[in-house]
Amino acid sequence: MEKLYYKTIKETLYHEKMDNGLNVYLLPKYGFSKTYGLFSTRFGAIDTQFVPLGQSEMIKTQDGIAHFLEHKMFDMEDGDASDKFSLLGASTNAFTSSSRTAYLFSSADRIDECVELLLDFVQSLYLTKESVEKEKGIIGQEISMYDDDPDWRNYFGSIASLFHRHPVKVDIAGTIETVNATTVEMLKECYETFYHPSNMMLFVVGNLEPEKMMELIRQNQAKKQFAPAQEIIRAKIEEPVTVYRKEEVLKMDVVMPKMMMGIKVNDIPQNGKDKLIKELSMNILLDILFSKSSPVYEEMQNTGLINDSFGAGFTQERDYSFIQVGGDTTKPEELKQYLTHLFDHLNEFDIDQATFERVKKKSIGIFINSFNSPEAIANTFSRYYFEGIFSFEIIDIISSITLDDVLKMRDYFVKDTKTVHIILPQKTSADN
Amino acid sequence: MKNVIEYDGYRLHLIPINKFKNVMIILKMAAPLTRETTTLRSLLSFMFTGGTEKLPSVARFSSYLEELYGARFSSSIGTKGLAHVIQIASVCIDSQYLKENEDLLTKQIELFRDVLFSPNAKDGRFDELTFNQKKKEFKWRLQALKDDKYSYSLERLFEEMGKNQPLGISTFGYEDEIDGITNEALYDYYLQCLKNDVFDIYVVGDIDENFETLFSKNFKLSKRPQEIATSTIFKSNKSDVLVVKEKQDIVQAKLNMGYTIDTDFTSPDHYAFTLFNGLFGGFAHSQLFKVVREEHSLCYYVSSSYDAFNGIMLVNAGIETKNYDQTVKLIQNELEKIQRGELSQELLDITKVMLENSLKKSDDEALNIIALRYNRDITHKEETNQQYIDRLNAVTLEDVIRVSKKVKLDTIYMLEGKE
Repeated sequence: MEKLYYKTIKETLYHEKMDNGLNVYLLPKYGFSKTYGLFSTRFGAIDTQFVPLGQSEMIKTQDGIAHFLEHKMFDMEDGDASDKFSLLGASTNAFTSSSRTAYLFSSADRIDECVELLLDFVQSLYLTKESVEKEKGIIGQEISMYDDDPDWRNYFGSIASLFHRHPVKVDIAGTIETVNATTVEMLKECYETFYHPSNMMLFVVGNLEPEKMMELIRQNQAKKQFAPAQEIIRAKIEEPVTVYRKEEVLKMDVVMPKMMMGIKVNDIPQNGKDKLIKELSMNILLDILFSKSSPVYEEMQNTGLINDSFGAGFTQERDYSFIQVGGDTTKPEELKQYLTHLFDHLNEFDIDQATFERVKKKSIGIFINSFNSPEAIANTFSRYYFEGIFSFEIIDIISSITLDDVLKMRDYFVKDTKTVHIILPQKTSADN
Repeated sequence: MKNVIEYDGYRLHLIPINKFKNVMIILKMAAPLTRETTTLRSLLSFMFTGGTEKLPSVARFSSYLEELYGARFSSSIGTKGLAHVIQIASVCIDSQYLKENEDLLTKQIELFRDVLFSPNAKDGRFDELTFNQKKKEFKWRLQALKDDKYSYSLERLFEEMGKNQPLGISTFGYEDEIDGITNEALYDYYLQCLKNDVFDIYVVGDIDENFETLFSKNFKLSKRPQEIATSTIFKSNKSDVLVVKEKQDIVQAKLNMGYTIDTDFTSPDHYAFTLFNGLFGGFAHSQLFKVVREEHSLCYYVSSSYDAFNGIMLVNAGIETKNYDQTVKLIQNELEKIQRGELSQELLDITKVMLENSLKKSDDEALNIIALRYNRDITHKEETNQQYIDRLNAVTLEDVIRVSKKVKLDTIYMLEGKE
């Protein structure tokens, strides 16, 4: 077991790689009552084209299958995993993102049993045709719930417009059609390919004794048989550099119009550290441009273009990345023009050293704050882990970022990689 | 160090804990919930993030927060039964985690003082630009709430169920009243609040005796009675179940059901009811989740919640419009089963363990620690977490069945989709 101490945040992290390839990280939080366990696999909504384990041909499976599998993982041969967690007094849940699926528990009691149950239910699959059919109605309602959420539609609509082919353009849950077309066999194929220990990572944080817990996990893993680790072959997506659609307008039964501008960022660093520096620098730039302290924000607010729902973010995942800027607005067209003008002339936008230092301080504070929450620590770690980034090092990397790093980010706001997504109320005010 | 210190006009609650890397200060100011003041109070809560005399704009205020390592400063509103509560929250990292030595705590307290006592105002008026901006922001927020179909349908249920009663008063206020509020009137109301509201201040973090001195030096209010009516049992004035249906162009219908329960936070039955709600629809192991979602695949979410300060229970689910009758019948059927005594000891035991576990876990979040304390403080309930757990564990199957018989469906609000 390896022990890593992080001085700035005063935390000690323990790590060990199991014989079967599973990486385990433990972070004791003294004084905490709760323990949070997160078991993640590098298998997300975008992994729909791959070579299944033991085969040689690339296949294309149904959209939304990672999420479907997440729902069905809780079925065990002798009952339901959530019921078993309830018996222990623990709560459990799971989530699927574009590049990973994660299962979790949180409990203040009987932690050893919770950790074993988490490992056991995720490391076994029990599917029946009947239970898979039954789940389709539930997932259908989950999709419908998002269909009525204008913020989600705007957020996701802008992503869908950015990409021609990349599977990130399809909703994480898929569509009602792809969910209905999903079969037991397809789910099994995905499970066998992506739930191998060498493609997974366990992170446990909270009220725990590292030596004892690592031994428990070692013994649990030693009892199980897995095929030898094999490299997973995923399809390489040939995505053009241009955007799929320049603009889309969607009408919904809402009061407030919304606008989201998406900017496709084509060049993605290969190395984990470079990727992180880019992400942090871009976030500092977006903060300087659009946080409430900025003159740009103040001007947009005073001219009635935006309200405090306005925000900007940078998403950088395995093989795609983009910037999103937008929010509620009564003047979507004017906001679009304002932002377009701002981005087209971004190289004239200068940043002074004091502003840069101030926003950097903010980033450091936010990072330190996140170490109060076991959930945030584990989720952040898992999000970066599969991209080759070690989240405990973020604070040192933020400190090393220079104004120059941030200024360079202005070059990514290229003219023809923008898309605009607008949501308008169905009714004109006269019908109200 | 004393944990609760009574000063003129406020109670200071100190909760020294060294496991967090920040210090949280939360101020709660409570006044009676009335139809006349709810919009005013909401707008006032917006003004608390509009800057101070020294930092006279949102931009300068935000810029100062960034300087304090991204300190957070926010205000929000809520109700506790018959009381309307404005909450001001400030979170700042503990300076022992900084490379540079900086006295962030003093700055955090002074900022809190300035926000409350020296707002961005002069001559009996708030700064005009900020005032107008905040009015607009407030309107936008109300519209955004309408576009969130879940919270919109919940608000509508409260409105219909609580017509002409405090339950029917909107916590957030009324859009059509905003324009009528003048700057002077709001400033006057602000001064009234400083004079009359019931103030409780909570501090969680690695703090010592010096904190008390530092805080009280900066925070002076006038004496007033520290009493306010809060928890209440909602009484219905309807003879039949009120069913309200509304249509919108949406994909998923939102079903909301409101029940009278003849129990509230201060009732002896509070513990039995907490368990009843937990096993009926509060968790993933509960009856509603098992039957409506798992057995019948009718929804993705369905749950019940016990609103202890209004003395009501709610059930909500997202369903297909055509499944309305079936879903309502299933939900009522599960309730009737418990009322008839069809309930297992195992389900009760699991719910006890779950409740105990979530209470212990809440000790890891400063916000939850404060929320739990506040509920007890404003109702003068002397109870430790352990006593609460003991009281939950003492509840029997018979107790749960007995309180379930007090549960009566009062109002259904259904937001339908178009076919």
